[in-house]
Amino acid sequence: MKAVILAAGEGMRCRPLTLTRSKVMLRIANRPMIEYVVQSLAKSGITDIIMVVGYAKERIMNYFGNGKDFGVNIEYTEQKHQLGTAHAIKQAKGSVDDEFLVLNGDNLVSADTIADITKRHTGGTSILTTTGNATSGYALVIESGGGVKKIVEGKILKNIHNINTGIYIFDQTIFDAIEETLQADISGVSEFGITDSIQRMINAGYDVHAHRTDHTWTDVIHSWDLLSVNAMILEGVPDKVHGLADSKINGRVVIGKDSAIGENSYVKGPVIIGRNCDIGPNVVIAPSTSIGDNVTIEPFTYIKNSVIFDDVHIGSHSTIKNTVIGENNVIDSHFVVESRRDLTVELDRKLYHADELGTVIGDDGTIGCDVAVAAGALIGIECRIEAGTVVRKQIPSHALVV
Amino acid sequence: MCGIVGYLGKSEAVPVLFDLLRRLEYRGYDSAGIAILNGSIQTSKAKGRVDNLISITPEIMGCTGIGHTRWATHGEPSSENAHPHCNCEGSIAVVHNGIIENYIELKDKLIASGHKFRSETDSEVLPHLIEEYYDGDLESSVRNALSHVRGSYAIAVVSTDEPDQIVIARKDSPLVIGLGNNEHFVASDVAAILKHTKDVIFMGDGEIGVINGGGVKVTTLGGGSVEKNIETIDWDPESAEKSGYEHFMLKEIFEQPAVIRETLSGRISSDGIDLDAALPNVRRIVILACGTSYHAGLFGRYVIERFARIPVDVEIASEFRYIDPIIDCGDLVIAITQSGETADTLAAIREAGSRGSQKLGVVNMLGSSITRECPCIQTRAGPEIGVAATKSFTSQLAVLLLIAIRLGSERRMITTAEMNDLAAGLRQISGNIQRVLNDAARTRECAKLFAGANQFMFMGRGANYPCALEGALKLKEISYIPAEGFAAGELKHGPLALIYEGIPVVAIATKDAVYEKMLGNIKEVKARGATVIGIANESDTEIERYVDHVLRVPDADPWIAPILSSVVLQLFAYYVAYYRDCEIDKPRNLAKSVTVE
Repeated sequence: MKAVILAAGEGMRCRPLTLTRSKVMLRIANRPMIEYVVQSLAKSGITDIIMVVGYAKERIMNYFGNGKDFGVNIEYTEQKHQLGTAHAIKQAKGSVDDEFLVLNGDNLVSADTIADITKRHTGGTSILTTTGNATSGYALVIESGGGVKKIVEGKILKNIHNINTGIYIFDQTIFDAIEETLQADISGVSEFGITDSIQRMINAGYDVHAHRTDHTWTDVIHSWDLLSVNAMILEGVPDKVHGLADSKINGRVVIGKDSAIGENSYVKGPVIIGRNCDIGPNVVIAPSTSIGDNVTIEPFTYIKNSVIFDDVHIGSHSTIKNTVIGENNVIDSHFVVESRRDLTVELDRKLYHADELGTVIGDDGTIGCDVAVAAGALIGIECRIEAGTVVRKQIPSHALVV
Repeated sequence: MCGIVGYLGKSEAVPVLFDLLRRLEYRGYDSAGIAILNGSIQTSKAKGRVDNLISITPEIMGCTGIGHTRWATHGEPSSENAHPHCNCEGSIAVVHNGIIENYIELKDKLIASGHKFRSETDSEVLPHLIEEYYDGDLESSVRNALSHVRGSYAIAVVSTDEPDQIVIARKDSPLVIGLGNNEHFVASDVAAILKHTKDVIFMGDGEIGVINGGGVKVTTLGGGSVEKNIETIDWDPESAEKSGYEHFMLKEIFEQPAVIRETLSGRISSDGIDLDAALPNVRRIVILACGTSYHAGLFGRYVIERFARIPVDVEIASEFRYIDPIIDCGDLVIAITQSGETADTLAAIREAGSRGSQKLGVVNMLGSSITRECPCIQTRAGPEIGVAATKSFTSQLAVLLLIAIRLGSERRMITTAEMNDLAAGLRQISGNIQRVLNDAARTRECAKLFAGANQFMFMGRGANYPCALEGALKLKEISYIPAEGFAAGELKHGPLALIYEGIPVVAIATKDAVYEKMLGNIKEVKARGATVIGIANESDTEIERYVDHVLRVPDADPWIAPILSSVVLQLFAYYVAYYRDCEIDKPRNLAKSVTVE
């Protein structure tokens, strides 16, 4: 069976990080989210993969190439305009044989999760569901008599905790249902969801089954969710030290090729450090931190439970906790991020909750020395923050802060 | 240039040969052909690309064969002039890459002794010459025949009298053998073989090899024995595939952040710059190169002179060879070549070596000829398939910066602290290239506006001058629009006469010591009606007043900015060609590595 991975969307709720890459390429333990999906597929013996790409597709194609390095064959098909999951799956028509598996590129799943649908599938359409208490934002699957009766989007229903994982097995009949969805001219709808097509199939009397999984299925909703998922994944990364370290290394630590950790530094795992990094001397890296490739960290800096992307420079005497720093940020000395628990963050005029957060900084910023950032004050891409500033509220992209 | 291939094994040869030829198509696509050994020799040839050949080739069975894709030098592109060439009886077939310099003399002699020629090529003398010396043993006949040949060659020969055998030989043209599972591959370039096997033997100059079921035997043309190592190539064959991109060129442009990270990886530390080869202390440096690599060399001159204070001359390799160069043991010659097979560059560095100068290569391809000629620093750009050089160029610039900084610190022209600052700047290159790529859509929009232009001018000063030359070269080679690059200060000395109402002028105006002067030059062309596309720093708020369109690059050190501007110009050229519907990866009349003089 071939697998179709949907990877065309931006993932706007993960801005500012997704302004320059799609959500599936956000790094967790130095690997893009979608790589975990690919790995789990390979482990399940599903090696023919079609990736539906669109937004910032180059990053995905550069990373995976034809898939050989990952033990799979990858074909790409482009969804030029992001018009919803039904429209995305339509792009794979012609590339898939009779039955095929569909997954989202931005949900972490294990091989066991995949087995829960592939092993139990008996023909027709299968939907993989999972139970969750926080059901808001997901489609709910209502079953009766062994089949799926209804899929409800955008509502919270009492006593229904069966949420749709977005993992399906379809056969070719889905493409007719997709056409119907696309043709249905519902004014005000700019996205054509696959759940609409499935509902049409149910209504037309086709067999649609739901299978429940209790295995890994993790969603990253907001950019700061990277921190908890990163911490979780780091717990399972086997340690491996390639680079040089004249320092104290404690616990599960991965250090990439050509990276150097200067004297008297202290690294306490789980921590992963990429290739060609220059860290220290006298730097402390505390647990649950991922540091990308080509990152420099100057002396007397403390970093904890954070995700640092590639090509970042962090000056001396900085304190960074519970923070995501995007690619190619140049940060001068004495940079301090405040971190708080139970925070409310405003995004697009709505309020969201964060368990514990410092900040999230978009790519390509320049931050002068002695800058402090208040907890939850997210910073956009390509911002320039001048020396001595205190950032108290969110900063939009391309801003100059003096 | 041309590409030659061969296969001997258990599978059907035709599909394997087609696959190998497709991967060598960048070396030439004027015509293609194959010869299969199956009792007799069956050939199939076609004018144009390998796909044409595939479409006209009937089913030919056989497990041994040779093939060729041609870039015409002697004789026009046609199916008659396509390789493989055969002897009069049709019992010997030869594919050849290179030039037989004394072919007219040989041809006259062979005609006099009764041989009949069918093509206008120099290569056809080879099968007849081998037939002339045929003594029942193909290897010794090839050896004898080649002793009369002057010029360059990589050849593969098969004969009906000795089935299940391929004889190959090389002099000054690349050739590599791939060792599979009970099968052997031959190709001009290691990248073509990688899909089939990663274990290869690089043929050396003046060596002859016999491949048969028993394995590979390599000796010198003189009959001496040679110890050959099997090398394992760790390149991924997939990097030679388009994986989702419309063109190799675009894929290679987008690979540049990762490539530059690779180029610099492990070479920069707080202790200094660590390079694969030692840099001798010399009085003068001469950089030899052709084409895009020559532009990299010009950039090298600016940075080496700036940081190391050593005088640098940059010479076009094909000129240097013939000017009786003044060069001695106090000089270091640096040859820059992506392929490591560029005939003129190889000859030029040998010429310099014979005059006692010290030698250094800056090369991308592992195991190529130049790596056997002198110590080399690798640019680590990975296989580059698009004929228009992109990532190989920027990685060359990065290596030249490393060389300049290293020389500067060795000669104490820059302090350790300065060196560390410069190295820190180098670390920012990849991130900044990524930033340029994030903005590709803006460059695309701008390119679209100018896709209809008939002529372009590029101008820059200082380290931006080589960048202007390269921008013009990129544009003309893939879009076929006449484009010229100038040092902006030269305008008044002639080129200003070319300016007319509406001509697009690309001005590289990133902030450096001559920024003000550059603005002056922009005013000069604007005043005469040119439409100016400025390449400027992100923080430059002034530039909009002077130019019509602005393409931005991140603020960077003036020595690093040309790398970023180059990426913008590559994208610009790509999209102009794209909107003109040009064949971007295979521009007319051009081939990737120029292995003939």
